[in-house]
Amino acid sequence: MVRFLRHYGTLIGMAAIVLVFWALLPDTFMTARNWLNITQQVSMLTVVAVAMTVVMVVGDFDLSVGSMASLSGIVAAVLFTMGWPVPVAVGAALVVGLAGGLVNGVLVSVIGILPFVATLATLTMYSGAAFILSGGKTIFGRDIPQSFADFAKSGLPLGSLGDKPVVLPWLTLLALAITGAVFVVLELSTYGRRLYAIGGNAEAARLAGVRVTWLRLTAYGFTGVGAAVAGLMYASRVASANPTQGEGLMLNAIAAVFLGMTVTRHGQPRVLASVLGVLVLGVMDNGLTQLQVDSYVREVLVGLIILLAVSISALGRKAIGRW
Amino acid sequence: MTYSITRRGLGRALVLAAGFAALGAGAALAAGEKIAVITPYLSQPGTQFYVEAFEARAKELGWEVNVIDTQGDVAAVISRIEDVVAQGVNGIVINVDPSQIGAGLDAAAAANIPVVGMDAGADARIKANVTSNGYEMAAETSVYIANRIGGAGGVVMFTFDAFPPVQVRGVIADAVFKNFPDIKVLDRITPDVSDGGIADSRAKMEALLAANPEPGSIKAVWAAWDQPALGALQAIEAAGRQNEGIVITGIDANPQARDAIAAGGNFEASVAQDFKGIGATAADTMARVLGGEVLKANVIYVPTQLVTSVNAK
Repeated sequence: MVRFLRHYGTLIGMAAIVLVFWALLPDTFMTARNWLNITQQVSMLTVVAVAMTVVMVVGDFDLSVGSMASLSGIVAAVLFTMGWPVPVAVGAALVVGLAGGLVNGVLVSVIGILPFVATLATLTMYSGAAFILSGGKTIFGRDIPQSFADFAKSGLPLGSLGDKPVVLPWLTLLALAITGAVFVVLELSTYGRRLYAIGGNAEAARLAGVRVTWLRLTAYGFTGVGAAVAGLMYASRVASANPTQGEGLMLNAIAAVFLGMTVTRHGQPRVLASVLGVLVLGVMDNGLTQLQVDSYVREVLVGLIILLAVSISALGRKAIGRW
Repeated sequence: MTYSITRRGLGRALVLAAGFAALGAGAALAAGEKIAVITPYLSQPGTQFYVEAFEARAKELGWEVNVIDTQGDVAAVISRIEDVVAQGVNGIVINVDPSQIGAGLDAAAAANIPVVGMDAGADARIKANVTSNGYEMAAETSVYIANRIGGAGGVVMFTFDAFPPVQVRGVIADAVFKNFPDIKVLDRITPDVSDGGIADSRAKMEALLAANPEPGSIKAVWAAWDQPALGALQAIEAAGRQNEGIVITGIDANPQARDAIAAGGNFEASVAQDFKGIGATAADTMARVLGGEVLKANVIYVPTQLVTSVNAK
């Protein structure tokens, strides 16, 4: 029973949440359109959480993803204002993300600073850089090319439901593609298995010939690029760039990965589990908004659910340990 | 005769009955309307005032109001608009720049749910934006200065043309000062606002004071918002020139500005937006839209008030 709860408690909880919303919102919650909305709403968080999973597999984490997301949006927007073509500006923002991630990697892996300290420092640095580049202003309106803003508003036509067309949003597709790519990297490649080996026991991995320093460093590269992609998605969705707009992503991404860890065997971070965690957060936001629950109460509830899930998982592990 | 009276009586009764039925239907329609107020800025003082006033008016109208605060997250505003559209609310009120939430406005438009702006900015997909008239506010303070200095003397302007709502204020002040042949605009300064605007305005004002050492060479400072006015005040006091009669005005009447005005120094006037009026008018505007009225003007201005030492506290 305890084992069962430990493995499936969170999953049962998630199913219960969905069922409750379905029962309370019979007409509007369990609809294709609403679920497409949810996938689009959580697309940015998905990308950050999936990228965050890579460093968490190694046993590290990255606090700078939120400010990197802001910075990448600002970099692209500032380049737009200078007349750079969209693909080039977007590419430049991704390069900034990769560079920022690798800086984190060097600080943590090569120099040996604790991830909390190193990425806390780069969090403020990247945020400061975003403020410097933008002059503290929101870049919006005609400065943002239409094609860039349209990306987040359109998608792949799926046909029509009733009289309205149904589209699979590009943001959702992009999040799916990135999830797939990271899944391949972590679950199906030697590289991924080595990362898990480092996360399990770095010293043992090193003795087994795994290049721990180098691999930890590269893991941060994924997180940096992921954060940059999410920042660009955000900028496209709001057709503007603001030096603080990625801030909310970091804590939610970590929360999603932790939520996901409660359903995996051995409590390891896993890509698909992280996506499940993201979906829980997204479904809570969507359902509670539709139920007109006060937005502050909503935050308390989301925190409680995370605690509940992790507690069940922890108690389950303790009980198993006792046997 | 009797017959006709009866007929008329019958007719009147019918009209009355129809009227009551219509009233009843109207009440049923109005009561229980679900309105979502979605804002990223609820923690800001101005926003709180108008959201509270909106809720108070909505209560009188019998509406069910759901206030959603996304805590600075503009993308979440889009997400929450999509959610309340799925929920099927009757109306949505926003107070964020419409150009940043186009996807959400599209979703509301596709579902024929009206959107009203509270100090939001104009957009074709918004039925009406309820706000203060920036032109009017600038006219109040620039004319105040022109009258106070007798239509003659050097004036320093602090403007910020990069931000459209502030840019319109500068346009009006330019026009007013130009209309007085003896008023000379000594400088039109755009302060660096990354530190909040006070410190850099103070530095710029100190430089101008140094460049114009003669008492009376600067008659007034017109600022497009309160922060530069406060910075200029600090510079004038630090330079020991507070007794030259330099008149300073700001706009917005924030608490710091009100304190300075109430103290009776050089900072003499600012303009207060009626945040409560904006909230109540936004509710009334939504009621008109829900009642089927097609609004001609998509910007609705709520009167502002000049704040001087008389009414600053």
